[in-house]
Amino acid sequence: MPLLKVENISYSVVVNEESKKQFDILKKVSFEVESSEILGVCGESGGGKSTLAKVIAGLIKPDSGKITLNSKSNNKKSSPIQILFQNHGEVLNPYRKISSVVDEVLVINRIDKKYIAKGRENILSSVGFPKELYDRRGYQLSGGEQQRAALARLLATNPVLLILDEPFSAQDVESQLNLVKLFRKLNEEFHLTMICISHDLKILRNLTNRVIILKDGEIVESGETSEVFSNPKKSYTRFLLSAEALDLTYDEIQASSNQ
Amino acid sequence: MLSVDINSVSILDEEKRRTILNDINFEIEKGKVYTILGKNGSGKSTLIKSLTALLPKIEYEVKGEVFFNETDLLNCSEDELREIRKHNISYVFQDAANSFDPLKKIKYYFDLSNISPLKIEELLLFFLLPTYKKLSGLHSYELSGGMAQRLLIVLALLANPDILILDEPTSGVDYAVMNLILLKIKNFTRDNDKSVLIATQDINFALKSSDHIAYLSEGNLTRFYNPDEFLNSTDDKMKNFIHSFKEISNASA
Repeated sequence: MPLLKVENISYSVVVNEESKKQFDILKKVSFEVESSEILGVCGESGGGKSTLAKVIAGLIKPDSGKITLNSKSNNKKSSPIQILFQNHGEVLNPYRKISSVVDEVLVINRIDKKYIAKGRENILSSVGFPKELYDRRGYQLSGGEQQRAALARLLATNPVLLILDEPFSAQDVESQLNLVKLFRKLNEEFHLTMICISHDLKILRNLTNRVIILKDGEIVESGETSEVFSNPKKSYTRFLLSAEALDLTYDEIQASSNQ
Repeated sequence: MLSVDINSVSILDEEKRRTILNDINFEIEKGKVYTILGKNGSGKSTLIKSLTALLPKIEYEVKGEVFFNETDLLNCSEDELREIRKHNISYVFQDAANSFDPLKKIKYYFDLSNISPLKIEELLLFFLLPTYKKLSGLHSYELSGGMAQRLLIVLALLANPDILILDEPTSGVDYAVMNLILLKIKNFTRDNDKSVLIATQDINFALKSSDHIAYLSEGNLTRFYNPDEFLNSTDDKMKNFIHSFKEISNASA
C-alpha cells in the first residue's frame, strides 16, 4: 500500500469577482508516493507545484479529490506531513536559542524530561548542526545554519512525510550539494519519505527516485527520474531539458510562451 | 574601455573599519562578456557598485582608480558621473521591483529614455512582455517580480550603454527567461563595441554566457579565465566551488 495516495485533486481560484471567472491551478492530479522513496515534482513557475504541496500538507483545501495518508502515527500535536519552505531559516525566532527551539517540540510531544537532551542532540546532529552552536540564537547563524536548525525543528515532530518546497533555489552550488547530501542521508538512515518540489532539474536528478512533471496544473509525464530525463516522452519535458542546458532558440522560447 | 584598479573597499563602522575588498584589478574590453563569480556574501554586489561610485560615501571608503576611457570615475564630479551612468554604463540590480518608484507609471520610464515607442515595443516583444500601451498604464507594483526584472533589462538596453552590468540576472527567473537573457547578451556584444559585466553565483550561466570568468572570495578576485580554463583551474580558492559544480552536474550525465 502506498504511503500517500493523491486522487483527482483539483483546485481553482476566482480571478474575476464579477464574472466569477475561475483559473484552474490544479486539474485532477493523481499520483502515489511509496514509503521511504523521494519523489520529485518538477515544472516551471505557475505550474501549480507549491499549491500541490500546500494541498497535500492540508494547508489549503482542494475543491475536489481525495488525499489518503497510510500512517499509523497517532501524533495529535503536530501534523504527520511537514513542509520545508524556500526561506525556512527566516522562520526561526531570531532571539531564541536553537536548543530551546528544538526542545520545545520535544516537550510538546511529551518526551520524558530525561530523554530531551539526548533527543535534541540526535536530531541536531542528524542535520549536521554543530554542537558548539546549540546555544546560539537565530540571528547569530548564517543562512545555511538557520535552514538546518529549521529542518531540525521539523524533524523533531517525527513527520511521516517531508515536503521540500524549493529549498535549493538562491543557493550556490556548494550549499546545494551539501543540502542534497543531507537529504539523501536522512532518507537512507531514517527511511524518511520525501516529496521534493523544484524547477531545478539537476537537483531532482541528484536526489529523487521518481519524478512527475507538472505543467499548467496537469501531470504531463512521470516515471523513474533517470528514465524521464534521459529518455523524455513528452515535448514539454524535452523543452525543460534544453532550457536547463541554456540551448533554447528564440523560436522555441516564443512558442512555449504562446501555448 | 574600463580599467579597474581598486586598492581597497572598506565599510566604515562607528567602532571599526572593515576592509571587504582588496586589490581588485581588471580591464573590460569591447565586445566581450565578463563574469564575476562568487558565493552569496562574497562581495560581488559591493564590487560592481564600487565601479561607478554608487556606494554611499558615508558608509564606504573606496581607494583606487576606475578609468572609463579617460575619466576616473572615483575622482570626477557628480555631473560627469551622472552623464556616464545615463549614457555609458547601465546597471540592472537584483532587487528589480524596488528599482522603480511605486508612485510612477511605467510610461514615465519609457518617456525618460527618449526612444520611440516603436523601438521600445520591439524590445518588449523580444522579452515576451506586455505591449507598450498596456505597460505604460501600469505601476511597478502591478508587475510580477520576473516581469519587473525583464523590464529593467529593457530600460537598461534603451540607454544603449557601452557597458551593461547585471547583478544576479538569473536569480528568481525561470529557465525560459534565463535563455532569453542569454540570447540578448550574446546579441548585445555581437557588434564588438559593447560589453557586459555579470555578477552571479550561477556557474552554469557563467560558463554558457561569458568570454572571461573570475572568482571572488574573501575579498580577493582571481584573474579572468576563459570558461574552459576556469573549469580546469587548480586555484585553491575556487577548487571546492568547481568541484561541487562538477559533482552535482555529473549525476546529470
